[in-house]
Amino acid sequence: MSQNRVAITGMGIISSIGNTIEENLHALLNSKKGVAPIVNINTRHKNKIKVGEVLQTNAELAKSLNLDKNNNYSRTALLGCIAAQQAVKHANIKDIEALKTGLISSTSVGGMDLTEKHFQNYNSESRRLINSHHAADSTEKIAALLGITDFTSTISTACSSAANAIILGARLIKSGQLDRVIVGGTDGLAKFTINGFKTLMILSDTDCTPFDANRKGLNLGEAAAYLVLESDAVVKQDNKTVLGYLAGYGNANDAFHQTASSENGEGAFLAMSKALKIAELNPIDINYINAHGTATPNNDLSEGKAIKRIYGDSVPDFSSTKAFTGHTLAAAGAIEAVYSILALQNDVMFPNLNFKTAIPELSMVPITEVTKKPLNYVLSNSFGFGGNCSTLIFSKGL
Amino acid sequence: MKTNLNIITFCRIKNHSISINGKEVIQKDSQLTFSEFAKLVYKEKAFAYPKFFKMDNLSKLGFLASEFLFEKADLDAHIKENIGIVLSNKSASLDTDRKYQETINDKANYFPSPAVFVYTLANIMIGEISIKHQIKGENAFFVSDKFNELLLEQYTVSLIQNKKSSHVLCGWIDVDKDKYDAFMYLVAKEGTQNYSKEIIKNIYTTN
Repeated sequence: MSQNRVAITGMGIISSIGNTIEENLHALLNSKKGVAPIVNINTRHKNKIKVGEVLQTNAELAKSLNLDKNNNYSRTALLGCIAAQQAVKHANIKDIEALKTGLISSTSVGGMDLTEKHFQNYNSESRRLINSHHAADSTEKIAALLGITDFTSTISTACSSAANAIILGARLIKSGQLDRVIVGGTDGLAKFTINGFKTLMILSDTDCTPFDANRKGLNLGEAAAYLVLESDAVVKQDNKTVLGYLAGYGNANDAFHQTASSENGEGAFLAMSKALKIAELNPIDINYINAHGTATPNNDLSEGKAIKRIYGDSVPDFSSTKAFTGHTLAAAGAIEAVYSILALQNDVMFPNLNFKTAIPELSMVPITEVTKKPLNYVLSNSFGFGGNCSTLIFSKGL
Repeated sequence: MKTNLNIITFCRIKNHSISINGKEVIQKDSQLTFSEFAKLVYKEKAFAYPKFFKMDNLSKLGFLASEFLFEKADLDAHIKENIGIVLSNKSASLDTDRKYQETINDKANYFPSPAVFVYTLANIMIGEISIKHQIKGENAFFVSDKFNELLLEQYTVSLIQNKKSSHVLCGWIDVDKDKYDAFMYLVAKEGTQNYSKEIIKNIYTTN
């Protein structure tokens, strides 16, 4: 196993709780949530929803990337470029072409934010912007910014997208196809997403309350986060600092319903079991679970049941950080991967905000305060519509 | 490393006729629409899966082909659970996309339905087959101009060689308005009928 390890050597993040790794960690340690009334988007639902929003306009984000005023970068691409650039810098990569390097980026909304602005009055200007609509556009723009030419791929499997990007990257490293890969996800808020989730009737009008008996649904969020994964050989050769390792991963489907998760959490159970097997760990080795915990009635019950199927009544410490950031969809798996590494580096577990009452069927009580504890292994879940369930297991970078 | 693979069984549905391993098992009146044909077959076979009636035509066609195939192959549940699925067609979900579009074209007559919308993706058919047979293996859906025996072979061989699945359900399931064509086959190491891209192309062309 040791010669096949996948090391994490850099991370970058922009979310509603901070524009850098340090700002995100500071917010997590001080219970400073990013969920608030919406500012950047003029939606008719603005008084009925709360979101985790990055409080910079597209123009401000573009300026920080030194882009031309006439750029056609969607919000998804802008956030992605900022986070991916940070990750590469954090990994201290001087020459990206010195090694065989890939980029695997995920998104669910793509360039919809630009498209919907021009949907009702299509003109010659729209043509230029609509070229940014497709999901791969943000990936291509990030690859161009970083100078990555060997391999790029875009993954869109709803809310498990970024976890699946990380899994694909790890597999490419393990099989020797790539020496280094930047993996993660990005999703900007758009009316399309807000209206879509509103139609599904799973948006809460309050701050979301993961794993609470009286949870009313999720808060949407926007974010981007990327990890730099490198093979053990590269780590040795370049004497890299290792932030953590990706010890295991699993992806499974529910075979239950086109959109909903199964009631017994079959997909989640399978994903966690596969990840433990690949990591060669027993369930008891996991010290902390960063749960998917979206605060929808369906997810939290299903995920809780799946965790109980693995652990019985001895469930490890767990929490969902969705009440900090909102559910950032195709970025969620990556921002929670960053939070899992931060947990391992600092031996600390982050609180599950807004929790009051345990779900009666589960009697599971999450961590509700910042809690210090030695951590060796952190498990992170990301589950998507259609029962596309993924689990990542991270270990300390010794 | 060459792995010898076999075709366990194959099913063809076209021109209101259903055949298994080259032998016709059902033939219906050519005047029927596809929906009428599918309903008649469903009733005759007494499939007892009411969800069938919620499916779009593409999923119905895939469902019927897989029912006949699995009935013939008679696999254990533990084998079924890990089956890989690699399906393809030309028209993706266009047949249902059009129907959904009709529900949102006119602001005065605007009646979009989530129950239709969910079928505006071709791989939902794979989902329907997986749900019915509790299949949790890898799956992929490809859209190409015509039956691409090479692509299907590469994916099938890879799934079996990498031990992701012992059995792979492959094929071409296409529906576009009144035209439909289903060719589904099951590949595994076991069996006696040799599998190769040439053999499967030949079966597809001559059946």
